[in-house]
Amino acid sequence: MKGVAIMKWKKLGRVFNPVEHHLPDNCFEFAQSPQALLFDNFVRIYFSTRERDTSGKYLSHISFVDFDFEFKNILNLSKETVISLGGLGCFDEHGIFPLNVLRHENKILGYIGGWSRRVAVSVETAIGLAVSHDQGETFTRVGAGPVLTASQYEPFLVGDPFVRVFNGTYHMWYIYGVRWIRESGHSVPERVYKIGHATSPDGVAWRKTSKQVIKDRLNIDECQALPTVIECDKTFHMFFCYRQALGFRNQKESAYRIGYAYSDNLVRWVRDDAGIGIDVSEGGWDSDMMCYPHVFRVGSDIYMLYNGNEFGRYGFGLAKLEN
Amino acid sequence: MDNGQSKRFLWRKLGKIFDPTKVVGIDWMREFAQAPSVLIFDDFVRVYFSCRPFSDKNGQYVSYTGFADLNRKNLFEVLNISKKPIMELGETGTFDEFGTYPTSVIRFEDRVIAYYGGWTRCESVPFDVAIGMATSWDNGETFNKSCRGPVLSAWLFEPFIISGPKIRRINDIWYLWYIAGKSWIESDGNVEPVYKIRMASSEDGITWVRENRDLIQDKLDEFEAQASPDVFYYQDSYHMFFCYRHGTNYRGPRGYRIGYASSTDLMNWVRDDSKTGIDISESGWDNETIAYPHVFELDGKVYMLYLGNQVGRYGFGLAELEAYG
Repeated sequence: MKGVAIMKWKKLGRVFNPVEHHLPDNCFEFAQSPQALLFDNFVRIYFSTRERDTSGKYLSHISFVDFDFEFKNILNLSKETVISLGGLGCFDEHGIFPLNVLRHENKILGYIGGWSRRVAVSVETAIGLAVSHDQGETFTRVGAGPVLTASQYEPFLVGDPFVRVFNGTYHMWYIYGVRWIRESGHSVPERVYKIGHATSPDGVAWRKTSKQVIKDRLNIDECQALPTVIECDKTFHMFFCYRQALGFRNQKESAYRIGYAYSDNLVRWVRDDAGIGIDVSEGGWDSDMMCYPHVFRVGSDIYMLYNGNEFGRYGFGLAKLEN
Repeated sequence: MDNGQSKRFLWRKLGKIFDPTKVVGIDWMREFAQAPSVLIFDDFVRVYFSCRPFSDKNGQYVSYTGFADLNRKNLFEVLNISKKPIMELGETGTFDEFGTYPTSVIRFEDRVIAYYGGWTRCESVPFDVAIGMATSWDNGETFNKSCRGPVLSAWLFEPFIISGPKIRRINDIWYLWYIAGKSWIESDGNVEPVYKIRMASSEDGITWVRENRDLIQDKLDEFEAQASPDVFYYQDSYHMFFCYRHGTNYRGPRGYRIGYASSTDLMNWVRDDSKTGIDISESGWDNETIAYPHVFELDGKVYMLYLGNQVGRYGFGLAELEAYG
C-alpha cells in the first residue's frame, strides 16, 4: 500500500441492507457512513439510519450491526437507542451523521457529526463528543455542546469527524463549509465543503489548521466529505468522497466518487485518485455512486466500508485490499 | 479596608434621550434602539445601538447596528445619526445573516473594534447567536468583518446562544463578558431561552479562554435569564450592572430589571441587587421593564444608559449617578 502504486480492491458486495432488518428509533431506511470498532470476537459497524418526524423530515439515528470476522454472518443488531439526539436548540438535535468511534486508553470515544435545521439554509452542523461506558452499546455526551464548530475562517458546516491518535496527539480530519451556492436565483442553497484538519492534546480542546487539506480535482466548488485515514508502511493514506456541488443527486457523472491522498507527515497530503483502484460498478447497488468510505484493519487485512447509490439508502458494502 | 463591597448606588433618571420611532427617513431604523454602548469623542458621545426595520410579512425582524452622536455638553442634543448600518449582515448560511445585536465597541491603538451578537434563524427554536468581531479604521463610522465566521460560538459546555458581548481591556488583558444559553423552555406553545452571564479572557482579542461557569448567582430561580453584563471600574472596585428576567411570560411585570454585582478581581462576583439604585418608574416609557444598562464616566460624572418598556422598542434613556456610599 504505497501512495505511488495502484491499489487493488476486491469488492465483496453489499453486506448490510437496512430494509431487511428491524431497527430501533423507528428507522426504516439508510445505513450511512459505516464506522468499524473491533471487539475480540466480532466487528461492530456503527451507521446512521433514519426515521421520519411528524413534519415528514428525516432524523438520523445511530445503530450498529455486529459481524463475524469474515463478514459472512450478522451476530447482533442494536435493539435500543445507541445515543439519543441532542436537546432542543442543540447542534445535534436533528441527526447524528456520522458517529466516528475509536478506542483510546481503555475508553471508547464517539465523535458526533451533529445536524440541526436552519431556516435560510437547510442545515448547520458541528462536532460533539460522547463516551461509552458499556463497551459501545450506548454513548453518553461529555457536554451538550460541540467540541468543534464554526470559527472565523470556517464559518459554517463543520462536520464529518474522523479522529485517530498518532504519537500521543489526537488528529481530527473533518469537513467545513466554504459557501452556499444556488443553481439559479430561486433555487435552494446547496453547500460546498472541504476537508480540514485539527489537533488536540486531549481530544476535547482542538486547534484547527484552518486550511484546505486536500486539493480540488473537479473545480473550486468540489464537495469533499468523510475523510478516513489509515497508517500503512510508514505512510498515511486518506480516503474520502467528492462530488460536484450541483446535480449530484440524480446525475451519475456528478455524484460521489471515492478519492485518495497520501502523506508522510499527516500535514501535507498528495492527492492521487488514479491510485485508488476502486470505482462504481457496471450495474447493481453501487453503480451510480460510491461514498462515505471507512478504512480499517482486521488482523493483517485492510477493508473499506462504503455506501453506494442514493447515499446509502439501501445499505453499505465492503471491499478488501488485495495488494 | 472598604473596597466598595458595602456601598450603594443611587441613580437619578434624566429621561429618554433617543426614540428610533421618531427618526425620519432611515428605513433600517424604524423601531428599537437596543443595547446602547458609548464611544467618547472630543465633542460628542457616540452611542451605538441595535435597531430594526419594520418586520417582514411573517412578522420576522432583522437587526442592524447604528449610532447617534450626542452633544458632549448636552447629551439630550442629537448631533448626528448614522446614515448606514455600521456593518453589513452576513451572507447566506453565516452566523450573522439575520442580525447584529448587541454590539460593544472599544478603542485599541489606531482603530475601533466591535464585538457583536450575530443572529441566525433555526427551525425548532427561533434563533441562535454567536459572537463576531469587526474593525473600524474610520473612528467607528463603519466596521469591516475580517472573516465570515464567529470568534466565540457554542462549545461543549455552552451549547447555544453565545451573545451579549461586552468587551473591556484591563491591564493589557482582553475581557469579554457575555451570556451563554442554558436551556430552551417550552411555555404556552412558545420556546424561551434561559441564559447566564459568563466571561472569557484573551491576550489578543481573538483566541479566548473561557471561565466556564456562571458568574452571577440567580435571584429568581434557575430559569432566570441574565443579560447585558456591563463592567466598569470605579472607586477601587469593579462593578457589574446587568439585567435579568423570569424564564417565561416575561413581557410585562415578570420582565427585565437591573441587577448589580461587585468584584475585586474580575473573577468572583458578589450579587447584591439592593445596591443597584435604579428601578422601573411609576409611569411613563420605563414603567414595566428596565434593561440593558451601560455605565460610563464623562467629564467627572457617571451615567447609565438603559432601555425601558418592550426592551428598547421606543428607545433608550439616561440616568446620572447621584450618590455612591
